[in-house]
Amino acid sequence: MKRLLLIFFLTFSALSNLYAGGGEEISARVSDKELIHTVEYKPKTLSVMLSDFFETTGIYAMLEPKEGLKNGDGEQMSRFSQSIGRIIMFVVVFILFYLAIVKEFEPLLLLPIAFGGLLANIPVANMTAPDGFLGIIYNMGIANEFFPLLIFMGVGAMTDFGPLLSNPKTAMLGGAAQFGIFGSLLGAAALSQYTPLADFTMKQCASISIIGGADGPTSIFIASALSPELLGAIAVAAYSYMALVPVIQPPIMKFLTTESERRIVMPRPRSVSRREKLIFPIIIVMMSALILPKSAPLIGAFAFGNFAKESGVVERLSTQMQNSLINIVTIFLGLGVGSKLQADKFLVLDTLGILVIGLFAFAAGTASGIIMAKIMNRFSDEPINPLIGAAGVSAVPMAARVVNRVGAEARPGNVLLMHAMGPNVAGVIGSAVAAGVLLSIFK
Amino acid sequence: MEVNLVVEAFKFMILGMLAVFAFLYLLVLAMKVEAKVIERYFSDKKSSFAAEESEDEEEERRRVAAIIAAVIEYRKS
Repeated sequence: MKRLLLIFFLTFSALSNLYAGGGEEISARVSDKELIHTVEYKPKTLSVMLSDFFETTGIYAMLEPKEGLKNGDGEQMSRFSQSIGRIIMFVVVFILFYLAIVKEFEPLLLLPIAFGGLLANIPVANMTAPDGFLGIIYNMGIANEFFPLLIFMGVGAMTDFGPLLSNPKTAMLGGAAQFGIFGSLLGAAALSQYTPLADFTMKQCASISIIGGADGPTSIFIASALSPELLGAIAVAAYSYMALVPVIQPPIMKFLTTESERRIVMPRPRSVSRREKLIFPIIIVMMSALILPKSAPLIGAFAFGNFAKESGVVERLSTQMQNSLINIVTIFLGLGVGSKLQADKFLVLDTLGILVIGLFAFAAGTASGIIMAKIMNRFSDEPINPLIGAAGVSAVPMAARVVNRVGAEARPGNVLLMHAMGPNVAGVIGSAVAAGVLLSIFK
Repeated sequence: MEVNLVVEAFKFMILGMLAVFAFLYLLVLAMKVEAKVIERYFSDKKSSFAAEESEDEEEERRRVAAIIAAVIEYRKS
């Protein structure tokens, strides 16, 4: 049997040698579909076939980086990002997997983003090209800012504006926290202007600073509009810090408030009628239409989701927005954002700058929310616990839960959750307005 | 011309914070007006939790008493 096989193999290779006699070597690199269609197959020897095949493997592509190889967007990749860069990115992706699975950092988005990053760094396959798996997803809904809007619609369908309507003035806290956005814009600009650490353009500064809004979809919306090249790093920073809200916020909250302020009990919120809730989304749409139409896509999608929920007559639609639709879009959004975690885009000094500025943005947003709440507490007839100002950074509902926890630590049984939800949802509107302002400046 | 990013960013900040606060302030006003209008002209007891909660307990007790009395009467007949 063995002999038979051997004979067969020998004849086969002899024959193939014969046929190939003097045949030219054609490149086995068949990454381009047109190449496959236009170039006719020419017989080759087995040895040539084997070596050609070896040249198409990922091992070869990473060991022997080619000068001038282009990435999915047609830009040249350095030898570093073709070889070691990819390996570093695999490590980064595994760290993100760890954070998502073991630490449960926003796993719903971090996991698809990280997996998209894994796929994006596979050599040869070129999945981030416009006709590749990730490239198709990216162009379908991220390059044109579509997916973040669908997410916003789902978030709107999940949001209850009752707490905000019962105590309208807490909306101002959601405004103060947007200082996180503009404060870090100033920080990013100062870093680029006066230090050699970073060299961001004004558009890049603006899209980095939106991390301070603590709102994933808004960050992605702005980044894809103003500086798509930074999208990967910005999305990763935004979602990681949102997951870190319970770690970042409490020290700042405790530092800025006194024990007695944290112990303040707020009066029970008044109940809100269904009519009020139903009219509210119409009000915010009309306001964005009149004042800031650039924010209308974000606010409009959000208000539509909320209107569908509060109307009570289209439960089928609002259920879809809250469940299937937002879940499907989350998968695509994650993978599409992950496609920007390519070595040549992510492994740059800018990423480090984005992570640092993003952290600062979060801290500044929290701090200014609390300071605003302290000022309001001084001038308001009803007591306001300054802690609820920290919920003004969006990060719904995590930030409100953190406020509730810190408040309960100071005075067991003091439930601040509902009071904190007001600034929390106002923060979503506030960051959408801030995003609209940034867009209206540049366009 | 060299653009000073910090000066630009500062202008962004002024404009942005003004816009955010103006928007939210108007929103607060709108919410207050909305609450007043609805309370005055459309206060619908059934859809309002407030109405349910503020209902007099005495009233509730009387109603229960009336129901019990009616049931007893019904059984007698």
